[in-house]
Amino acid sequence: MKGIKALTILISPFIIGWIALFLGAYGVSPLMVLKILLNETLHVFDVGDIPEKAIIVDIRLPRVLLAGIVGACLSGAGVTLQGIFRNPLVDPFILGISAGAAFGCAITIGFLSFLPIQFMAFIFGITAVALAYTVARTQGEVSRLPLILSGVIVSAFFTALVSIVKFLVDPHKLQSIVYWLMGSFSLADWKGVKVSLLGVVFGLIPIFLMRWRLNVMSLGEEEAKALGVNVSRDRLLFIGFSTFAVAIATSLCGIIGWVGLMVPHLVRMLIGPDHKTLVPLSFAGGASFMIAADTISRTITSFEIPVGIITALTGAPFFIYLMKRGGKEAWGK
Amino acid sequence: MLEVKELYFRHKGEKRDILKGISFTAEKGLITTILGPNGSGKTTLFKCISGIWGNYKGEIKVNGISIDKLSYKRRAKLFSVVPQDHEPAFPYSVFDVVLMGRASYVGIFSSPGKKDYEKAETALELVGIRHLKDFPYTKISGGERQLVLIARAIAQEAPIMLLDEPTSHLDFKNQINVLKKIKEIASLKGLTVVMTLHDPNLASLFSDKIVMINSGNKIAEGSPKEVLTEELIKRVYGIDVVRVSYNGKNIIYPNL
Repeated sequence: MKGIKALTILISPFIIGWIALFLGAYGVSPLMVLKILLNETLHVFDVGDIPEKAIIVDIRLPRVLLAGIVGACLSGAGVTLQGIFRNPLVDPFILGISAGAAFGCAITIGFLSFLPIQFMAFIFGITAVALAYTVARTQGEVSRLPLILSGVIVSAFFTALVSIVKFLVDPHKLQSIVYWLMGSFSLADWKGVKVSLLGVVFGLIPIFLMRWRLNVMSLGEEEAKALGVNVSRDRLLFIGFSTFAVAIATSLCGIIGWVGLMVPHLVRMLIGPDHKTLVPLSFAGGASFMIAADTISRTITSFEIPVGIITALTGAPFFIYLMKRGGKEAWGK
Repeated sequence: MLEVKELYFRHKGEKRDILKGISFTAEKGLITTILGPNGSGKTTLFKCISGIWGNYKGEIKVNGISIDKLSYKRRAKLFSVVPQDHEPAFPYSVFDVVLMGRASYVGIFSSPGKKDYEKAETALELVGIRHLKDFPYTKISGGERQLVLIARAIAQEAPIMLLDEPTSHLDFKNQINVLKKIKEIASLKGLTVVMTLHDPNLASLFSDKIVMINSGNKIAEGSPKEVLTEELIKRVYGIDVVRVSYNGKNIIYPNL
């Protein structure tokens, strides 16, 4: 039973991705999508030079891939942060990493365009999480509620800094900052997909390899140490890898919240808390969720709704549900 | 064999020593109990020995070799620690919890292998809780949880097992069951067991050696018979007691 659930989650990005490819303003039949994909990858069908080909290969496919990878990055960072902070209510957005990374991107677009945007996103993302962690840490312990509160504070601080940048930049650049900040995949192209692979290689793959340690680290600092884990080093590695994944995601599509909170929770409810399976399935679940949310955002109305709005509309009620359901369990120590 | 020599400890920025030069030894295959009233420094001593608080003065030796500067990983191969209260953030299965005892054997970029799974299975078997294997750790009783943590310590395969108040949250039956299990495993596996207790009667029933401490000083060290005298209990706990003998063991009976 668990095996079937796990397998379903694992293949869901491919099925949802395929559905996303034939949905849209220009109708392409499901079969034609398959034919075009096979033509591109294995050269078995010759579909000729039809307009559908350009729509699928140049526009929809990079968009679906980018949404999938970004979703996996955000959800993977979420499951990692929840594990190391032993806190089921945190994700990159709540801890302020997204806001920090967004500030790094905004100043790069506005003033420092000679610097690589992903690098700046990473630097300020890691600054944000370090701040949130330091503020919340008292007597060697990081309790749940203070961590969330300090995340809110750090998030507000970096959002204010982004506003200052918006205020100061020239109007031409302002437009691109505002549009990108809303969180959208409408500018997706193959170059973006290539950049997003950086997040997979230097974020998700190391997290995947280290995933069993999250079990031990989620027992708390003292116990993990007694079991032989170098907690300070491993925590730094986990925060570094997950922040890098979030920085890449944010630099490509702005701030998209809640994915890192919701998806690991849903997966945990379905297949249990063991990070050995939870981590890879959170990658897959995040990819599916993001592709689905993006597809809704571009098909539900005649114009495009930023995908960040869709994730917030589902995420906020979910957070309330967790709070109510968890009660003392969620807010206790 | 574990040797603690002249151990001093104080918290950063405080003037008062919590441990004031404690020395004792614990032998292989035997249970050594650190006994003392609340606030006597038991838990501090426990945390120093288990390596959670490293900034103590003094020396801790295992088989004659100083362990003060060992990495967490090497330390975990010498000491297994059974903590007092334990609430994981996530409802791991009992088996997953026991498997975590293998952390010091698993490389940073890998997961437990076949051998680790076998060791965890054997540990569950030895403690007699195999039937709990797939239960969520958060849904079993306090006594069962304590046994799971003992199984985890066994899976860790360290020669010294440290237990912090293994009976503190348990009812009468479970207190006896857990301590009996600890005694059985200590002699079966030839472990050096060091535990803290605050109940002199449980200490008397289950220890081979008692180290009595009070306000950071060692008061006495020796067999339960030598240490638990009426006079000493009166001095340390401040109540009037009578010592009663039954079946070769002594019980401390408060004068009501």
